[in-house]
Amino acid sequence: MAVPDPSVSELMAVVMARGFRDGEVVVMGAVPALPLAACRLARALHAPNLWYIVGGSGTVNAAPDSLPSSSCDPALAPGPCVLPLPDVVLLEGRGDALDVFCAGGLQIDAYGNCNLVAVGPWAGPALRGPGSVGLPFLPAVGRSVIYTMVHDPRTFVERVDFVSGPGHPGGPDEAREYRRDGPTCVVTPLATLGFDPTSRRMRLASVHPGVEEEEVRSATGFELANGGEVVETPPPTEHELETLRRIDPTGVLRR
Amino acid sequence: MRDRIDTLEGAIGRWVVPGSTVAVGGMHMTAAPMDLVREVVRQGLRVERLVTSPSASIQADLLIGAGLVSEILSPYVGFEHLGLAPCFRRAVEEGKLRVLECDEGSLTHALYAGAGGLPFIPCPPGIDLTDIPKVNPDFYARARDPFSGEERWAVPALRPDVMLLVCREADEAGNVAFDRSPFTDRLMALASKHLVVQVERIVGSEEIATRPPGVTLPGFLVSAVVVAPGGCRPTAAPGEYGTDEEGIRAYLNAARAPEGFGEYLAGHVFAEGEPAGRGAAAGRPQRG
Repeated sequence: MAVPDPSVSELMAVVMARGFRDGEVVVMGAVPALPLAACRLARALHAPNLWYIVGGSGTVNAAPDSLPSSSCDPALAPGPCVLPLPDVVLLEGRGDALDVFCAGGLQIDAYGNCNLVAVGPWAGPALRGPGSVGLPFLPAVGRSVIYTMVHDPRTFVERVDFVSGPGHPGGPDEAREYRRDGPTCVVTPLATLGFDPTSRRMRLASVHPGVEEEEVRSATGFELANGGEVVETPPPTEHELETLRRIDPTGVLRR
Repeated sequence: MRDRIDTLEGAIGRWVVPGSTVAVGGMHMTAAPMDLVREVVRQGLRVERLVTSPSASIQADLLIGAGLVSEILSPYVGFEHLGLAPCFRRAVEEGKLRVLECDEGSLTHALYAGAGGLPFIPCPPGIDLTDIPKVNPDFYARARDPFSGEERWAVPALRPDVMLLVCREADEAGNVAFDRSPFTDRLMALASKHLVVQVERIVGSEEIATRPPGVTLPGFLVSAVVVAPGGCRPTAAPGEYGTDEEGIRAYLNAARAPEGFGEYLAGHVFAEGEPAGRGAAAGRPQRG
């Protein structure tokens, strides 16, 4: 039986999964369906020793029957190990125990800074977001992977109005206090992006099947750094998609 | 006062002092002490400072919408995949709520400091690269590390006057037990001066004695226990029932505008017969 085409979320989950390396420890926050699916997919395929912590619940390597929408869904509780949330905070601060932080924002800027606080001035914002939660820990862990379901010029801005989650601070000239990798990858419904190693500015890595490069550039509210050939994101293989759909039998990623 | 089991009205009226610092437990849409919160709204008790867990939802939004909160210390008020917090958002955008901007790291360590008697505590790494400290000078100050000489951000100890929280069960002496994960609620409880604990049921002391130490709190820390089965709704109660997403959606739809929020309060908080906003979930339990 032929596997139907992947949804945008499924494609993004596959792209995220491919980026996780065997043995890494991944931590994710609110709205965990996509990174949780990606972690489980990576474990099922090329990274059997991947570890992952689902944000607020503190569950480690949870494998619920269906993908939960909330990071504190009681369905996550039967994970093989649970860290009480204060322990997760301790490890985030320690940094060296965690390799990848999956993050997002109302705004994401050219240097990978994320904003979950306010659009417009902080005092009297046009849009008040929920708050920074654990994003300030981004520079403390090994690297961060940014994902968003919205790729438009209001989300991708030259400079965020408020820094909740630090990216590459101030670009190439500013000394970096933390010697971790910072944001390495941005996954959106249109493309996969990375960062120029010198300027630290975001640049295109690959466009998803059916998306034109120009479409990505016009959906981005800043000039993407040039560099390298832009390729098409390899579409999910049949094996990747079949495995993903066993992880997501109720189709949370197809809604 | 050996017996700490109290009525909803009595516990809230006795321990929530108007104009004080009130902490509310529950993470995201799980383990929110909604019956206690609804009673605070019914009694119209003003909260000078509301402190939440690292991620709050309706337990904060309802109090804010009711106009009872002057300022909030919280790293997140929202509803994950269901959307932004309507009353929080409106109050901040209209300048009616003072926000003490913070993140989960600063908050958690401030609670450790409060629980352990430390006057202040330096922040973990990362916060210095954000805009958070510069918009909240009441909570963040520069401190010199006496060992390295380096300057870094520090926050004061947090000692909420009272915390409203959910446990799964209590015994007659007020010993309480969470389900498998207490989130940050147990730490916040250790930092708070008084605890009002909403539980699903009272069990025998021999049952509490079988719970692991990391999920219990001794009765001497507990000011009052309120038995409120189903009282977390529309949020989930770990080990008992899941999130009532329909109930949450109904709240979010209603609270989108002040008029709708008023109707929600009338129908779900002030209505007679105490269905107390538990939503249209089937099998709504009777009050014990």
